[in-house]
Amino acid sequence: MKKLILLSIIFVNLAFGYNYNDLLLKAQASIFPKIMLLDKNIKNKLINGKIIYTIVYEQTDYDVALKIMHLINTKYNGHINKYEIKINLVPFSELSKNIDTTAIYVLNTDISIQKVIHIASIKNIITFSYDINNLKKGLLFSLVIEKSTVLYLNKENLYTRKIDFPDSLLQMVHFVDTHTVEGESSLNFDDTSLVQMYTQYFTTKEIY
Amino acid sequence: MKRINSLSTKIVLSFTIISIFIILTIFIVLEKINKEAFYNIEIEKANIIARTIEPLIALNIYLDMDYKVKQITKQLIENPNILSVEIKKENNIIVSAKSEEFTNNKQTFFKINKIIHEPNSSKKLAVLTIIYSNKTYVELTDKYTKITIGLLIFLIIVFVLLVLYIKKLLSPLRKISKSLKSYSPNMKIDFPFIEQKNEIGLISNALSNMQDKISQYAKKQENINIFLEEQVHNKTQELRIQLFTDDLTKLPNRLSLIENVTQVENGSLLIVNIDDFKEINDFFGHVAGDKILIELSKNINNICSHKDDVILGRLSGDEFAILFIKKPSLKDFLEIANNLISYIEEMLFSYEENKISIGVTIGGAYDVDGALLEKADIALKLAKKQKKSFLLYDNNLNIEEQYKNNREWIHKLKKAMSKDNIVPYFQPIYDNTTGRIASAECLIRLIDDENNVISPLYFLDISKRVRLYSDLTKLMIKKSCQYFETLDCSFSVNISVEDMLDENMLDYIKMTIKEHNVATRIIFEILESEGIENYEEVSKFIDEMKLLGCKIAIDDFGSGYSNFEHLFKLNIDFIKIDGSLIKNIDTDVNAQIVIETIVSFANKLNILTIAEYVHNESIHKKVIELKIDRSQGFYLAKPQEKMNM
Repeated sequence: MKKLILLSIIFVNLAFGYNYNDLLLKAQASIFPKIMLLDKNIKNKLINGKIIYTIVYEQTDYDVALKIMHLINTKYNGHINKYEIKINLVPFSELSKNIDTTAIYVLNTDISIQKVIHIASIKNIITFSYDINNLKKGLLFSLVIEKSTVLYLNKENLYTRKIDFPDSLLQMVHFVDTHTVEGESSLNFDDTSLVQMYTQYFTTKEIY
Repeated sequence: MKRINSLSTKIVLSFTIISIFIILTIFIVLEKINKEAFYNIEIEKANIIARTIEPLIALNIYLDMDYKVKQITKQLIENPNILSVEIKKENNIIVSAKSEEFTNNKQTFFKINKIIHEPNSSKKLAVLTIIYSNKTYVELTDKYTKITIGLLIFLIIVFVLLVLYIKKLLSPLRKISKSLKSYSPNMKIDFPFIEQKNEIGLISNALSNMQDKISQYAKKQENINIFLEEQVHNKTQELRIQLFTDDLTKLPNRLSLIENVTQVENGSLLIVNIDDFKEINDFFGHVAGDKILIELSKNINNICSHKDDVILGRLSGDEFAILFIKKPSLKDFLEIANNLISYIEEMLFSYEENKISIGVTIGGAYDVDGALLEKADIALKLAKKQKKSFLLYDNNLNIEEQYKNNREWIHKLKKAMSKDNIVPYFQPIYDNTTGRIASAECLIRLIDDENNVISPLYFLDISKRVRLYSDLTKLMIKKSCQYFETLDCSFSVNISVEDMLDENMLDYIKMTIKEHNVATRIIFEILESEGIENYEEVSKFIDEMKLLGCKIAIDDFGSGYSNFEHLFKLNIDFIKIDGSLIKNIDTDVNAQIVIETIVSFANKLNILTIAEYVHNESIHKKVIELKIDRSQGFYLAKPQEKMNM
């Protein structure tokens, strides 16, 4: 129910001009690069030994993109773990199949999302979306700050692309199904239920 | 101890000991293994939790989602077994949660440390420490111990029941053995449990069958024993008869007679010895001898058979004994003996075509204090010695004293020989023409413990009886040769015919003479005694000695009936005229005639004559007058320890 309320607030915002949540941007700038590194095939996705983190945006959101770049650079100072990270800002209009990038962070858009999805699916690029709704369209990751920070993952895209995340990540994310009704959570189980399951399992004496 | 020895107790005891050992071993091993397993399971559980939760925590830390880490920690602590969870990052506790029990320090625990690595990397992010309660472990081990003890008690009960059951099963064996304890082949035992169809029944049946067989066998053995006892008894009787009966004459034998003599208190005894029975055996053969013995025994038995108190027995080969259980009067006793002699001498025994007569000598013991047999035997020997037909033992004969004396002399002789106290004494023999010593006779002397010089009269005869005579001869020859080895004087040594016939002695003499180089100076004086007629053997000795250069003299010539044939047949150098002729030569005309004959005869044969026993001047003069070549006697010189040349 809470999630539905949140989604409706987001849609209302879209109707009256899109507003980016700073907190969310900050959280995404902090977490998404790290999630990118969790890909076990990350080495194959380096561009000239560097991590290229491309932020695609509508011309109107250039400032936001810049802000995000600034947040990431501040956070990681050009290096994330042992890799050098470079942030590219690319407007949707300039996005093409020739793009060399490790991951794409998509800001809000109405029309160009399919283009991003197409390129990402061809080149097995990890995609992050500011907007959770884009996950239903085919982007891979998004993050929402609810009661706590919640990661969402489009599980269909996960299997179609050559992306291999650790199980623990999969255990803690909320899955989004392309076929689910918009705004409806498709969580199979979350990290909380996992811990509870273990807790319950090992307190059961019947194992003997 | 008796109980422990019983088979059932042993089986049960060994079974119990082995079982207890096995069970305890299994229990101890299982206890150790299981408790360790329980412990490991608990540890593993804690580890699994840590391992399971670590990636999630790692990811949350990695993504800086600390609140999620706290959330996970909180959920973990809800597990009653997890007492505390702590996550340290670079020595700073980032999360810590503790249960109430842990806070109250109520429980013991395991501690699990797990390093949290960054996802997809080996980079250490933090350390997860889980304090895991061992409550479950304690509960499990307690439960296990209770089950184990319960099982142990159950097994003990089962064992006790099993033991009792085994004892019950084996108890019939004890009863059977009890009934067998008093078993003997003559009794019949009714074995218990014979109807049972199990092993006990089989044993009882087998024992029962065995009892029947033993009983039958015992009866057979009893019969055999009775038969054998009879046989043994008969055989014993037979052997007893044989033991006390002479095989040849069927008369009581020596053993029987000895037994009878010892039982007689006031009896008398005659021992009848057949004279020269050996010659009869040698001449006519043993068959003839045996026949004579049988006939003689029958004849004597016929004489004695009418008297109940007379026992005739055979003492040895040619000796019979007549034991008078009740002694007759001395007159009758003597008459019986004399009549017996006459009767036997009149007997003629036929063998093949020969008629053989025998003579007997009888020794009698009458009115003596015990030892009838020995005394009659002494009387017999004395009678033989004195060439009498019958002699009655007389205490006044002092025969035992003589025997004792003889034994003492034998002892003295042996002792002297062992101490080298048999020595030669030397009596010079003078040449009647020159008056000088011509030679010396070596005479044997015994030195006793008191240094008395003993004449051979006391021990020479005894030495012959105990077969020491030849040893004495050897001693004399050896010592005489040694003595005269360095003296320029001839010497004479007495030698008997027996010595001359002894090959061993001959070799010894030759060796000794050569050793001391006295061959040309030694003179052997041969006694003119019995045996000298064996010219062949004596001549052999004389010839061998003469070849070496020795001289030969005939000693005591003229004693008894002197035989001039000796002078012809034996190549002799000297005649020593017997002392019995010399000792009265000054007065005895007959002796003078005999001596003149001997001297004349000897001169013709170039034999030198020597007069012995020259004990005074008158005799010496007569000896010279009769032209005897040499003189020897106390008048001239006594036998002395050393020669005074």
